[in-house]
Amino acid sequence: MSQYVPGLEGIVAAQTAISLVDGANGRLVYRGYVIADLAEEMSFEEVAHLLWYGRLPVRAELDALTLELAGSRALTPAAMTTLEALPQDTDPMDVLRSVVSVQGIEHRLEKPTIPLAIHATASFPTILASFHRRQLGLPPVKPRADLAHAANYLYMLSGKESSPELVRALNTYLVLLADHGMNASTFTARVIASTDSDLASCLVGAIGALKGPAHGGAPSQVMDQLEQIGSPENAEHWMREARKRKVRFMGFGHRVYRTYDPRAKILKAMCERLNPTFYALASKVEETALAILHEEHPERPQATNVEFYSAGVLQAIGLPKAFFPPTFAVSRAAGWTAHVLEQVANNRLIRPQSEYIGPEPRKPVPLAERG
Amino acid sequence: MKVPEFSPGLEGVVAAETAVSEVDGANGRLIYRGGYLIEDLAKVASFEETSYLLWNGALPDKRELETLRHQMAAARRLKDSARDALKCLEADTDPMDVLRTIVSAQGAAKAITKPTLDEAIALTAVFPTIVAASFRRRQGTEPLEPREDLGHAANLLWMMEGREASPERVHWLDTYLVLLADHGLNASTFTARVIASTGSDLASCVVGAIAALKGPAHGGATYAARSMLDKIGSAENAEKWLREQHAQHARFPGFGHRVYRTYDPRAKILREMAKEAAPELYKTAAHTEEVALQILHEAHPDRPNATNVDFWASVVLTGVGIPKELFTCLFATSRVAGWTAHVLESLADLRLIRPASVWKGPQPGNKPLPIASR
Repeated sequence: MSQYVPGLEGIVAAQTAISLVDGANGRLVYRGYVIADLAEEMSFEEVAHLLWYGRLPVRAELDALTLELAGSRALTPAAMTTLEALPQDTDPMDVLRSVVSVQGIEHRLEKPTIPLAIHATASFPTILASFHRRQLGLPPVKPRADLAHAANYLYMLSGKESSPELVRALNTYLVLLADHGMNASTFTARVIASTDSDLASCLVGAIGALKGPAHGGAPSQVMDQLEQIGSPENAEHWMREARKRKVRFMGFGHRVYRTYDPRAKILKAMCERLNPTFYALASKVEETALAILHEEHPERPQATNVEFYSAGVLQAIGLPKAFFPPTFAVSRAAGWTAHVLEQVANNRLIRPQSEYIGPEPRKPVPLAERG
Repeated sequence: MKVPEFSPGLEGVVAAETAVSEVDGANGRLIYRGGYLIEDLAKVASFEETSYLLWNGALPDKRELETLRHQMAAARRLKDSARDALKCLEADTDPMDVLRTIVSAQGAAKAITKPTLDEAIALTAVFPTIVAASFRRRQGTEPLEPREDLGHAANLLWMMEGREASPERVHWLDTYLVLLADHGLNASTFTARVIASTGSDLASCVVGAIAALKGPAHGGATYAARSMLDKIGSAENAEKWLREQHAQHARFPGFGHRVYRTYDPRAKILREMAKEAAPELYKTAAHTEEVALQILHEAHPDRPNATNVDFWASVVLTGVGIPKELFTCLFATSRVAGWTAHVLESLADLRLIRPASVWKGPQPGNKPLPIASR
């Protein structure tokens, strides 16, 4: 038995050909392609094809996939009524977790396949947009088969077509976040897949993990913190005071990257263009945070992570804060399902060991003789 | 730090320190929190006492047990929204899919909260309500309201059948729930701990654990064992059926375990109970076990091929009157105590579980071709 390593840091839990987080060199690689080369050139559909099939599609394949995704957007009647049964003020992540669970009932214990992955991925925007409309007291908007994944999500949220600039921004966000090595939610999906469970089960587990503030829950917390800081002029003062109270700066630090997160770099440039107000505040906060963190731990790489500028991009797109984490899930669904397929192709039950730190065996006292 | 070699399935990798339970596979011992061997505990403790032990680290005294019983009894009702969500699902929906969905709906909240003991108690208390409602809807009858004056096991049978079950059936079910309540870092418990490590809420951890338990390689094995016994039909048919299956390289559900190298201590207790709980099925099962172990030993004399808990649990649950479609849900109804205990334990020293992976893909650097040039 190996020694206990907290957080399984550095412990290899899988072999994968889907994505590589090359932390030392600050590179994220999807199936051999560096993220910077994909981000602003490819549609989400092309990248999903890449993750699922292992290669970029030719035109006919892309058309087929686009059509299949568009044709799988509708929710089952049970999923739609469940969505309506949940209280209007429910956290959208909890709505997503519950409705993805219902949506999966029709494929109970089927072995995960690419068509099932497409089917599940296609439903995420419909669930979120329908719930968003419900919160606004508006009826859901039917998906439009002629729009691509990003454009259709925005269309279902607002009921009108968004500007090409915003569609492009959301598409780039969806490409950037689609996969990221053995992160906690992806790992959760693979553990669940390893029991021969079904795809919906893997996805509800992954959504539950992504919800945590140490994972996908961070961008909305970035926004909370920026709102508290209020203005660039207040950044230095607020942050130094916060630090005295041991407040963590949201959107900084990562287990794997030792340099600037390549996705953050792209999102930062997008923020500057799309969300100048956010950018003015955020870039000042970033500069201050990095300076303070460096003073405290000069040895640590304290780079800005993807959550920080994600918040500004998603805000520019018009999403409310509570929809930041589930929109992360809209993107990551492609990676989760790709990992499940990879796990299933060469499966072994993931069942690690634990080290017992309790008392040595002894006899229990019957209730009548206890205290 | 040197990255260790890949161990498929994380076999032998220590992923947590825990005081909740210990599976001592080499010696065939299962130890619950406080250091109690499962065979000692099963004799003296109810499911409520066992849950208290797993959550708090000590067995309750009378007053503490009363308080817990009241708290659980009061938490048995579903929220209106979860009850509405239940009605949205087709009556014939797989009970595990119902459980996964309705636990998610019951746990749906306005904002994320840190897991607490009170939430663990409430979530554990509500499982029988969902499972029984699922059973009744499949039967075409209306779900029943829980009864606060009954214990956890007795109330589950009440909500399923609408009449009080005999003390024997309640006892068998209660013992089953005690035996399955925790089992080291199995796949569903590990799932719950991974989800907890992100700072997520208790419902997310438990929904993920249900999702993992649903897999035939984990919680689905009790159902598979019972289905095998159905196909065998009688003790006389066991030898022929098993030999034919073995010749086709089929696995025998209910045999073999990653950790135990001896007879599973839970299986031993369940086997004894099965004699009384389901005498007819016991005969078929006992002969099936004998033949299966013989065949497996002939094929792999080197391997420990012991009967596991799923095999005898399937017989005892049949004696309790539970249809096999509910077996995995019953497993979840017990294990939720362990799942929540593990989540609460992990909060004391929370660290994101984020392992590494080995890259098996193409070397990075290829420029992607635009679609027109592909």
